[in-house]
Amino acid sequence: MTVTKPLLTAFLLAATIALAPAWATTQAPPAKKTTADHAKFKELQRNFASGPEVTKACLSCHTEAADQVQHTKHWTWEYTDAKSGKKLGKRAIINNYCTTTISNEKDCMACHAGYGWKDSNFDFTVKENVDCLVCHDSTGTYRKLPGDAGHPVYERKEFPKGSGKFVDPVDLQKVAQKVAMPSRANCGACHFFGAGGDGTKHGDLDSALKTPSKALDVHMDATGLNFSCVKCHQTSGHEVAGSRYAMAAAVTGHARVRGAQDDQPASCPSCHGDKPHHENALLMERLNAHTDKLACQTCHIPEYARDGIGTEKSWDWSTATKMGPEGKPVLIKDSAGRRAFDSKKGNFAWDSYLVPEYRWFNGQVSYITVGDKIDPSGIVEINHPEGKVNDPASRIWPFKIHRGKQAYDAENNILAVTHTAGEDETALWANFDWQKAITAGMKTAGLSYSGKYGFVSTEMSWPITHMVAPKDAALQCAQCHGAESRLAGIDGIYLPAVHGSRLIDLLGWLAVAAALVGVLIHGFTRFCFFCNKNKTPENPQ
Amino acid sequence: MLKVIAGVVAGIAATLALVWSMAGSLAFNEQESPYTVEETVARIQHNIQDTGNGWSLMGLRNPIKPLQAAGDDALPAMMIEACSNKYSGPILKDDNVRFLSILMPCKISIYKKSNGKVYIGTMNAGLIGSLFGTTVGDIMKNVVADQQKFLVMDPNKPAPAIILPKTGGEGGSGGGSAGGC
Repeated sequence: MTVTKPLLTAFLLAATIALAPAWATTQAPPAKKTTADHAKFKELQRNFASGPEVTKACLSCHTEAADQVQHTKHWTWEYTDAKSGKKLGKRAIINNYCTTTISNEKDCMACHAGYGWKDSNFDFTVKENVDCLVCHDSTGTYRKLPGDAGHPVYERKEFPKGSGKFVDPVDLQKVAQKVAMPSRANCGACHFFGAGGDGTKHGDLDSALKTPSKALDVHMDATGLNFSCVKCHQTSGHEVAGSRYAMAAAVTGHARVRGAQDDQPASCPSCHGDKPHHENALLMERLNAHTDKLACQTCHIPEYARDGIGTEKSWDWSTATKMGPEGKPVLIKDSAGRRAFDSKKGNFAWDSYLVPEYRWFNGQVSYITVGDKIDPSGIVEINHPEGKVNDPASRIWPFKIHRGKQAYDAENNILAVTHTAGEDETALWANFDWQKAITAGMKTAGLSYSGKYGFVSTEMSWPITHMVAPKDAALQCAQCHGAESRLAGIDGIYLPAVHGSRLIDLLGWLAVAAALVGVLIHGFTRFCFFCNKNKTPENPQ
Repeated sequence: MLKVIAGVVAGIAATLALVWSMAGSLAFNEQESPYTVEETVARIQHNIQDTGNGWSLMGLRNPIKPLQAAGDDALPAMMIEACSNKYSGPILKDDNVRFLSILMPCKISIYKKSNGKVYIGTMNAGLIGSLFGTTVGDIMKNVVADQQKFLVMDPNKPAPAIILPKTGGEGGSGGGSAGGC
């Protein structure tokens, strides 16, 4: 008894020490202390009339920053695919939402990390046009609106026009004095609101990730790990790692020190390795055996858009320009209050808590770019995730597949570049005339236009990688190995409990029958043996 | 004789076991909806309002909210509460069956499952009513007939807006309308 008490005390003490870090993680991490208070810098103690003026002040200390930014995709909106040599990026591709930036720069550049890109004459070498504040504002007051070619709000203005809602001008001095490392809100200002609305584009990125719960994202959990975007998308010289244009779909090996030993820091195995499960021996072996076929995201993001914001599932441009009963443009919302129809843009379908679709994916995505030929007789894949079974670089990944219809040149069989944004005579959203808008857009893009347009069904794939759920919410075995298997459409693999093989089934049943026959023969033999044993000379029966 | 008694007992036991195993599925109905959770809710709400017979919306609850408040989450589920004063009155005035007020208001649950599909869950009012005599049974027959109208979805009609409770709010008591029980 005398020994038990100290042992118990020691055990409790050891357990307390061992569990302390786990308890600590439930507390919000303390704010990082900075070594510089930008409010004390003389360069920033004045009124700024424009964004470029602020940048000029920033560059007086951060001499290399603009040059660094000007070599990134956030500035060039251009990317050359190393494998195909094809020019990609927002300047080259057509997406399934607002379609293209060409001829619509004044609106689209609200999300450019720069000032003044309003047409194809934009000078990409002017350092003062780099927008430092959009990524480094910590006040949450810095706003750039469509129509201003990337400039912040300088004068109080009504937005959206005719809404009766007004946006106040940005206090540039205040924002400049409060710069900080990018937070989720900074990145999210564009990436949560891509395609013109909260959650519209990606499906796994929306404003709920500003302060998410653990249930929404275990890594960004605001009261837990509280990862910022750049925790995974590690940045060096303003180059942000982890672009969707250059993904690694199958990172293998042990866990690494991100940023130091790994040029693909934005992956699960970077921290967790490729044998991440540590449950009981049998389960661990089974689960880890899946990692050579499945991306972590496949099981650990059971649904995407897991919040009330939701995401857009489809955008049908073919109904755009249809007017309401009084011949005026109308805006109709769905039952949840999300956009369902807009005379400017057509029909939309939204939902939340969506089950992903699954594809083999090796990190390479083939894109249709401006001017590429299409086959309008079928569904046009705006982008196609490459990958196949038995490719060591491929894994089964979850995707959001966004479907829609968009305009194309019905004789040249190319997707149309449509001049949508703006208030000029040819802009679709001003004059509701497809012919004029396509003619203007194609001319700006330098493409010939036959004068005949139609609408073609399209789809675009978005790999899902954010909104990682807690492990107890991961997919269960039966969700893939069951009657309603999520992976039923995946080719090249044998899924127990899903794929029937008559030969294997036959062999199995033959084995069962053979075992049964063996048991019967054995039993019959024993029975006969027993009967013979009981025969005596007195009782020969 | 013993064999006969044993056979009867075994038969009764088997029947009880069968009833026990099926009781859950008999007491409740589940059907798939072609619409999102929100649109299904909205369409049913409007159907309830259009049905007449004293029906009115009593509330709209989101049973997932308490989970979310505790940092947890689950797939969407919403519960429409509706009541008809025409049908509730006789039950509430009869001491013998007043305890059935525990089933009021009528609830229709709309939820998403992990297969991505949306379902509508309803109580089998007809079966339950038949257990409590003629008065309740007859009332419940009418409730069943109206309940079927609630679930008729006309794809030609545009998606209506969800009707949010005017007072009380989600998770609280009703107050969405002046009628009902």
